[in-house]
Amino acid sequence: MNYLLSLNKRLVIILSFISFFSIIVIFLFNYLPSSNFELQKIENQNETSDILKPKFSINSKKQKIFVTANEGNFLTKDEIILKKNVIFESDNFKIYADNVIFNKKTLVAKTDDKSKFVSNNSTINSNGFDIIENGNIINFKGKSLLLLK
Amino acid sequence: MIKFLLFFFIIIFNSNYAASRNAGETEVTTEDGIEVFQEEKYYLLKKNVEILSDDFDLNAQLVKIFFENDLYDMRELIANEDVSFISSAYNVNGKGDYLQFEIKTQKIHVSGIGSELKLENTEMYSDGDIRVDNLRGSFSIEGPNSSLISDNTIIISSKINGIFEMIDGKRNISIIEVEDNNIANIKTDDIDMFSKKAVYEKNKSIIELFEDVKINRGGEIITGDYGIFNTNKKSYKVSSKDTKKVKAIITNTNE
Repeated sequence: MNYLLSLNKRLVIILSFISFFSIIVIFLFNYLPSSNFELQKIENQNETSDILKPKFSINSKKQKIFVTANEGNFLTKDEIILKKNVIFESDNFKIYADNVIFNKKTLVAKTDDKSKFVSNNSTINSNGFDIIENGNIINFKGKSLLLLK
Repeated sequence: MIKFLLFFFIIIFNSNYAASRNAGETEVTTEDGIEVFQEEKYYLLKKNVEILSDDFDLNAQLVKIFFENDLYDMRELIANEDVSFISSAYNVNGKGDYLQFEIKTQKIHVSGIGSELKLENTEMYSDGDIRVDNLRGSFSIEGPNSSLISDNTIIISSKINGIFEMIDGKRNISIIEVEDNNIANIKTDDIDMFSKKAVYEKNKSIIELFEDVKINRGGEIITGDYGIFNTNKKSYKVSSKDTKKVKAIITNTNE
């Protein structure tokens, strides 16, 4: 007798349903947040920008933080909003973010969008940040996760 | 079938949760953000802070983590408000309003009302300060409502200092010095001792009592200036500078 015919059809159907359902659940848990984040980026593509690929640095006595983005728009005389692939990079860390408002007079950078801080063996995920005192203090806002390896 | 489904979903959700932190990693979550002070070299973790690692878990409302050169290289941790912690690496757990933990020197300081620190065989309580120097093997408990419980002995005093010795990988108390401006109390299974100062030495199996000594065992109360209790023989002797000052009261507890 064929072995497949001896299997309980009902059990096979239930197990198939569970497997399918669990794959969907795992997919939703792992990929839904990052999908939303991508969607925000795509929506911003239709806007025009004042500066293409802005690039500058925040300097202090002890470190230099290089700032790059794909687009920049002047909000006021002193404030620029940096959009798409905004990166703050120093010798010690990198911060990835989007929609960062930078004040060129006070050298303060802030965003309420999701951001990721990456340093040697440590990462911080947060809902935005403020960089103040020429980069000496970085305030990661809201629910935050710090992972030390 | 329902049990099978429940089991299946528990496995799925647990595996998803466990994937967030790998072995050897430390995961820190906060409700209200993390401030990184690069020059001062510390993190400030704010509101409902939870630290999970292989050998140390901590909950508190505000935590400062000082680091050496790189951000992951932790040197010292200071936690405030509703602090509770457990360390499997150091076999210690406790709670308090304030915790200071120096990682290299293994010094632990817990303070505040309702402070607790528990080691293998020893429990320490205080509304003041509890300090343990794990490398040197010493401890101190100081402040109101301070007490120590170890091996069926309870010590209540405003100041308790002691020394541990390691036996089979466990910290055992070898010396305790007790001091209280009012009166300190040492209780064992069948004896209640009071004095202003007391010293316990494990290798000599004695507890020495100094000033305003009172020993109470089974209705027999003896007072004097100095007392010595042999913990092996369960015998004691009380003396006084003024030989007439020693006083014994024997009551029949069966009445």
